[in-house]
Amino acid sequence: MKYIVIAAIALVILFVVAQYNRLVRLNITVDEAFAQIEVQLKRRADLIPNLVETVKGYAKHEQGTFDAVVAARAKATSASTVADVAAADGAVTTALRGLLAVAEAYPDLKASANFLSLQEELSTTENKVSFARQFYNDNVRSLNTAVKTIPTSFFAGIAKVSARDFYEVENAADRNVPNVKF
Amino acid sequence: MADNNFRALQSANKGKTYFLLASMGVLTWLVAYAALTYFGQGTTTAIVPLAVGIALIGVWGSYYGSDKLVITMTGAKVIEREDAPELFNLIEEVTLASGLPMPKVAIVQDNAPNAFATGRNPEHALIAFTSRILEVMDRDELQGVIAHEMSHVANRDTLVSAVAATTAGAIAILSDFLTRMMWFGGGRDRDRDNGGNPVALVLSLVVLILAPLAAMLLKSAISRKREALADATAVSFTRNPAGLRRALEVLAADTTVVQQKSNAVAHIWIESPLDGKSVSKLFSTHPPIEERIATLRAMESLGS
Repeated sequence: MKYIVIAAIALVILFVVAQYNRLVRLNITVDEAFAQIEVQLKRRADLIPNLVETVKGYAKHEQGTFDAVVAARAKATSASTVADVAAADGAVTTALRGLLAVAEAYPDLKASANFLSLQEELSTTENKVSFARQFYNDNVRSLNTAVKTIPTSFFAGIAKVSARDFYEVENAADRNVPNVKF
Repeated sequence: MADNNFRALQSANKGKTYFLLASMGVLTWLVAYAALTYFGQGTTTAIVPLAVGIALIGVWGSYYGSDKLVITMTGAKVIEREDAPELFNLIEEVTLASGLPMPKVAIVQDNAPNAFATGRNPEHALIAFTSRILEVMDRDELQGVIAHEMSHVANRDTLVSAVAATTAGAIAILSDFLTRMMWFGGGRDRDRDNGGNPVALVLSLVVLILAPLAAMLLKSAISRKREALADATAVSFTRNPAGLRRALEVLAADTTVVQQKSNAVAHIWIESPLDGKSVSKLFSTHPPIEERIATLRAMESLGS
């Protein structure tokens, strides 16, 4: 009888520890995933001056586009909360698209080796940013589910873990949904 | 919508693998039981651990050193970032999508487009590409292939196939031992057992003879399920079923086949290097490529 009680208590303790650790682990994974987004955003920010200089060499009269990219980049480097980082990230993406659209008009630029290698770097970095985002959001989803569902929800307070924000990019293209007229 | 679909596919394929692995366990038990009926306790307690032991040593040695072993068997050359920066960019993208560590990357000089993944755990993973696949595939297609290979790493398929190979190997060795012993007048225990039930004796004989075949079938079935699972997991990484689908179409349209057709490493390639027509469907290590393409196409139509 004594052993049964001891075994039961041990099982309960193991259960609590497992739930607590699961929550803490999920929370750390979300932190790491967010750090990874920032690493990739930083990589992209580092590419921008080089890209702007390269395009400037061929297209001197597009000052407006350059200014937009530089301004968006400056705003992005000062953002800190998830929502701010996401908003700034969206702005940089839009500005970069504008810059690449400008480049389309200059065949010499498009053919230059420097631009081609920058373009490869930029497209892989864009992909990395979006995969890092997706990985972060997947992990936030698991964390938020754990925080809100039984039994892990009982331990969220003790583990000081709470639901986190999704990384949502304000996409200009998504907002301007074309008007359908009948 | 697409989310639900690849997640459902993933869990269905996982469930089927567990079922098949459990069937392997039941089969092993059945063989041991048949041996017990036929030869009596003395022989069986000596032989069963021996067979399992031999299979374990053989398979687990190759499992532990799988990354190095496969490099020697396929003639793959490990490359660094400078050798193929674009390929490394793509692989890094998939590692970010999957949260896996960066694997080692290798190239096999071969005129057939193909790829494989191996390694005992994600930290010791190796993915290899034939030189041809890098020439014929565009960015999205290659990304799909990489995601498929990284899925094998994420799903620990080297481990799953090692477990399958161990049980299949143990069963084969066991059945081989026992059938040989029958010819050479083994099973002295039986006489002491007063003959036993003749029906049970015949049944156990049938089990002993058919077991290796059944084990091979189960092993192939497990391999096919893992391939289907890797396709679904790949989509969960890239969220782009079209890339992998087009890659598989390129592979299906290509008639060249990887030079070395060794049975031992056939299961690790993304497209089976063994000629599909000469190997019957039940024994093949991969689901038919048309079936895989159709599954991915279905996911695409759900997504858009």
